[in-house]
Amino acid sequence: MKAFIIKIVTLLMLLGFSSVCASDAQAGNAAADRAAANVETYQPKPMMELMGDFLKSTGISALVNPNPDELDSHGNKMSDFHKSWGRVIMILITFLLFYLAIAKGFEPLLLLPIGFGGLLANIPVANMAGPDGFLGIIYSMGLANQLFPILIFMGVGAMTDFGPLLSNPKTALLGGAAQFGIFGTLVGAVALAEYTPLFDFTLKQASAISIIGGADGPTSIFIATQLAPELLGAIAVASYSYMAMVPIIQPPIMRALTTDAERRIKMSTMRHVSRIEKLVFPILVLVLAILVLPDATPLIGAFMFGNFLKESGVVDRLSDTMQNALINIVTIFLGLAVGSKLASEQFLIAETLAILALGILAFSAGTAAGVIMAKIMNMFPGSKVNPLIGSAGVSAVPMAARVSNKVGMEYDRYNMLLMHAMGPNVAGVIGSAVAAGVMISIFK
Amino acid sequence: METNLVVESIKFMMLGMGTVFAFLGIMIFFMDVMSKIVHKFFPEIQPDVNAALRNTQNENNQKKVVAAITAAIKYHREGQK
Repeated sequence: MKAFIIKIVTLLMLLGFSSVCASDAQAGNAAADRAAANVETYQPKPMMELMGDFLKSTGISALVNPNPDELDSHGNKMSDFHKSWGRVIMILITFLLFYLAIAKGFEPLLLLPIGFGGLLANIPVANMAGPDGFLGIIYSMGLANQLFPILIFMGVGAMTDFGPLLSNPKTALLGGAAQFGIFGTLVGAVALAEYTPLFDFTLKQASAISIIGGADGPTSIFIATQLAPELLGAIAVASYSYMAMVPIIQPPIMRALTTDAERRIKMSTMRHVSRIEKLVFPILVLVLAILVLPDATPLIGAFMFGNFLKESGVVDRLSDTMQNALINIVTIFLGLAVGSKLASEQFLIAETLAILALGILAFSAGTAAGVIMAKIMNMFPGSKVNPLIGSAGVSAVPMAARVSNKVGMEYDRYNMLLMHAMGPNVAGVIGSAVAAGVMISIFK
Repeated sequence: METNLVVESIKFMMLGMGTVFAFLGIMIFFMDVMSKIVHKFFPEIQPDVNAALRNTQNENNQKKVVAAITAAIKYHREGQK
């Protein structure tokens, strides 16, 4: 009992002592504050002056009379146009992105965060896209170092089912052919830059633009941040808007390149794929990537990691997080960070138009190459391939496969191509990751 | 000599498409090999189709029994009125 009382008394004494110390420290702080306040004497201001100063700090004033000393997020001087009307135009463009995302359903998951990020990045005075603004912080946190695209790839891997590809491996060639969209556009972009006075792209910039043809948003962003960060905003916006426009861009090309009989080709039913095959496949592809193209392993490694966890079947919690929570969080950050690159001084340049034009060219070339590859494959003996699934070789998963299915059913209501088209579709993801790896290895 | 960037880009294209096709080609080859090996050494135990069929038959039988009992009860009740 006695010992207990002593303990309590000691405890109280300790508490008292510490609180005395704390109050001393607080008193010290207060004194320092007072001293600071004394140094910074406050001058009374007349009401008119107060109002005038406030009016100068408003957005209207900043848009009408841009601050001549204002610097962009890279610390460079900005032209007056980019500070005033440019911002207004960009804000209107972000409204257009909202419209496309909400009313037309164009990839709303990405276009809305990108659009809103762009809106915030174009606000004068607040400087949110600068290195100390929150958009700038998100950008340098995960986009400048390519973390976000890799995390997205993990989630996409956890959502991908390689079953259709495993049951008909040769359809992977279609996914390879569609990568012609990337390299064909590279040649086109360089030729344009070389033989016309319109644009001036370096080889690196041309490569970053042409990767839009892979129809793979995260890969485009991954490459753009490495090869041409100054074009990131336009490349990401072009890439995601064209991915959303797959159902509009692809069908005319598919119809133009196929005959009616080809569109009605029925493909043989798929064989059953065992669980062990699905489990071995990610490791197999990763080992191949390690041996052939280590530069592609960040993308392929993350992709196969996600897929392996899913197919293992023993870590449903992790694979579930990757497919939902993780990819959703990263999508928000990725969208905002890309949006921060929609600042007027980076987007309202002549190159943006060229990027948009080359992007759609890349997309169409990829689609066409996939369809033509399917027709070439049909010249060889073996089971026939419906050329409509060739267009799914561009990796917009699963949109491109759905388009193949839809077009196929227009001609034969009982011809289900969806699962057959998923094979080239997921092979397209691998193909564009390989193409990205080649680009990185060239410019290293 | 001024480097012709277009020629450079065509070289990139050949290298790139070559690598993509080579990679996918090797991948297809190993996928075939892998599925052969897997089917040879780890044949998946197919779910017993007959058992499943029997189950559904059982279910059907049970449904018939339930229907018969229901009908009988209904008949019985109506008969008592």
